[in-house]
Amino acid sequence: MKKERSKKYRALQFLRILSQTVFFGLFIYLLFGTRFTGEDTIGRVEIFFHFDPLLALATTLASRTFFTVFALAGITVLVTAVAGRYACGWVCPFGALHQFFSYIFKKARLLKPRKEEKKEKRLAWKYYLLIFVLVGSLFTVDLVGIVDPLSLLYRSFVTAVVPWLSHVFSSVIGLFYVLRLGSAGDSLSQFFSTLSLNQTFQQGFLLSLIFLGLVFLNLTRERFWCRYLCPLGALLGLFARWSVAKVRVDREKCIDCNLCTIHCETQASPYPNEEWRTHECVYCYTCAAICPTAAVSFPVATGPEKFEVVDLSRRKLILTSALAAVAAPFFKITPARTRAADKLIRPPGALPEPQFLQKCVKCGECMKVCPTNALQPALGEAGPEGIWTPVLVPRIGYCEYYCSLCTQVCPTGAIKELSIEQKIKVVIGTAWVKKDRCIPYVLGSPCIVCEEHCPTSPKAIKLVKTEIRLADGTTQTPLAPVINLDLCIGCGTCETKCPVVDDPAIYVTSIGETRSEKNRLLLEILRPQALPEEPR
Amino acid sequence: MRRRDFLKNMIVGGALFRVSPSLLAQASDTPHLVMAQGESPAAITKEVMAALGGMKSFVARGDRVMIKPNISWDRTPELAACTNPEVVKTLVELCFDAGAKEVTVMDHTVNQAQRCYARSGIAEAAKAAGAKVPFVNTFRLKKMALGGQWLKEWEVFTDFVEADKLINLPIAKHHSLTRLTMGMKNWLGAVGGNRNQLHQRIDEAMVDLAAFFKPELTVLDAYRILVRNGPQGGRLSDVELQKTVVAGVDPVAVDALGATFFGINPQELPYLKMARKRGLGENNLEKIRVEKRTV
Repeated sequence: MKKERSKKYRALQFLRILSQTVFFGLFIYLLFGTRFTGEDTIGRVEIFFHFDPLLALATTLASRTFFTVFALAGITVLVTAVAGRYACGWVCPFGALHQFFSYIFKKARLLKPRKEEKKEKRLAWKYYLLIFVLVGSLFTVDLVGIVDPLSLLYRSFVTAVVPWLSHVFSSVIGLFYVLRLGSAGDSLSQFFSTLSLNQTFQQGFLLSLIFLGLVFLNLTRERFWCRYLCPLGALLGLFARWSVAKVRVDREKCIDCNLCTIHCETQASPYPNEEWRTHECVYCYTCAAICPTAAVSFPVATGPEKFEVVDLSRRKLILTSALAAVAAPFFKITPARTRAADKLIRPPGALPEPQFLQKCVKCGECMKVCPTNALQPALGEAGPEGIWTPVLVPRIGYCEYYCSLCTQVCPTGAIKELSIEQKIKVVIGTAWVKKDRCIPYVLGSPCIVCEEHCPTSPKAIKLVKTEIRLADGTTQTPLAPVINLDLCIGCGTCETKCPVVDDPAIYVTSIGETRSEKNRLLLEILRPQALPEEPR
Repeated sequence: MRRRDFLKNMIVGGALFRVSPSLLAQASDTPHLVMAQGESPAAITKEVMAALGGMKSFVARGDRVMIKPNISWDRTPELAACTNPEVVKTLVELCFDAGAKEVTVMDHTVNQAQRCYARSGIAEAAKAAGAKVPFVNTFRLKKMALGGQWLKEWEVFTDFVEADKLINLPIAKHHSLTRLTMGMKNWLGAVGGNRNQLHQRIDEAMVDLAAFFKPELTVLDAYRILVRNGPQGGRLSDVELQKTVVAGVDPVAVDALGATFFGINPQELPYLKMARKRGLGENNLEKIRVEKRTV
């Protein structure tokens, strides 16, 4: 028999790699585009998320509201139902990343593909994870952001990869200056500033470890995440069973070498043919391209056909659902639910806390776009369900007065889109002066930095001549800051810029925030009582 | 009372006049300051420079010129928190016309640099005229001996020191600590470090920095001036139309004349008094010859 690999499928495999490269490139392009580019408005940089049916389903379940742009996710579902999981094999940037590293590890002989057991229990993990997340959503605990591949990838890039890159980049620039190549250093530095890459995040190291951990799991199995963990892949797998693109192994040509199944990226097992798992196949065409006799093909075939399915035990599915139902309340047992947390300053336009938690998928879009690096992933501030949700940390950055970018890039509407005119009316907190640390109050000397930086007009910080008794018994009357609570919007500029650099003498807490009816100081304070119109 | 102070100052000022020989040297023919008023920021900028003897008296062929506007805030031009972009653009053009090899426009902003550069309109305007508009680069920060009375050393962006010619291009604004911020305070945007701590002795800091940077020329944009809620304002009602540009070699005199736009007697401003004593220039309006033009 003539031994020859299929030209058609090798070309298709090349096309698939090209497609993955293009979509990964698009993902990176949109990531780098998520910054202030000179305009008040920003384009649809979050578009990837809207094609994600898992995010759509889970946030819809959790929040009991449907965010209309998620209709785009229907396209992904439709394509999967008709043709199979092309989204995983050809589009998903996280899948592309895992496949890339699997390839590298294979080439470095750190990973040796093998023929797996027919009864592979681990394939079921992702389905259990999916069930857990969806049942959690049903009980209004939105855990999808933690494990959704797009959220996870974007968050990892924003908090870990980009800061890593930026650090390396700036070291390289520094090297240019050491080597007396100043002009090259200058050009690089300007390029670097233009992209606004100089962000760092409080949990950068932890989030890096998680991301690297997932990458290194590819040392044990190709596309480990996609095979065993990805809940979006599992969801698409459920739709893929009706796919018309089916693998076919030509018995006449097959030499039973097992290469197709050994090298199958996702353990879909094309050989023997009746063991092929439709819902695991991501149509990477590795099997068809690697087959030495061109025996493997993907003909279009409609009609019911019996193929192997993942061994999902009904008992375990019920158990997982029950576990999620039992676990859900654990995520809710936090004082943050009944008592406002002082440091829980949310971005302007954030929905009231319970609704916010039901919608926020912790993707990090808002953190990336924030021009002052003020938005940081939460750890415990918002309770267990609020991990990695955005919190404004005024010690690091402040809410830029004429900026509403974070409200525009939120993919789920957890932060309601606001125009600049609407945004400047939104209060996110209130500033307070620590008189025992403030320079005029303690030293009797002038400072006024907080007042100078206060962006509202008239200013929310007034300078009042205040009599100060000093240690030597003398009296000084410096201008000292006093907050006008009617005017303060809680942007945190004062705290960011306070020259008392360690523990600032002026600080912001969440009280007075527009989104909450309860977290208020005085009823009569003239402030907008709700976010502009109800979100839908 | 004010008049008597005024006279007294004139006498004291006269006695101290010897400490500023540069003023004496040019006192004879050219005026100290030129101010022009008119509808077009570009036209009045051209007019003041023409009256000062043209940009050629300041910029030589092949010079690398640094123009330092105020781009501190994320504010659009009509809010008068940053220097008027048209004035910046015109000045860049004049520098190139005078034969400058390279013109750079930059500032160490307070809000995010990308936002300030874009929304002030300055980056676009200056680039259109052919200037380089880089962001400050922390690798170019260098701790330098300022030789000041209070500020002995501080981190300075070397771009401002290395240029052949330095032009200060501030906007006239209200400021709650120094009352006004114009040319001398503008130098806080040429340094790094913990700038916020300079506010504790701001007058001394301003004088030390002004003495260190010594621009060839100061052009004060008072087309729109910010009369309250300075230095960033935020409402159109904080802005007044003055439609004026002032230019001069004497940085103290420029600020002194600028003070009158706010109805403030420059002699009341401590930093101008200090600068006068240090020989940086003249703060007494009686001794400053101003040529006024209307376009």
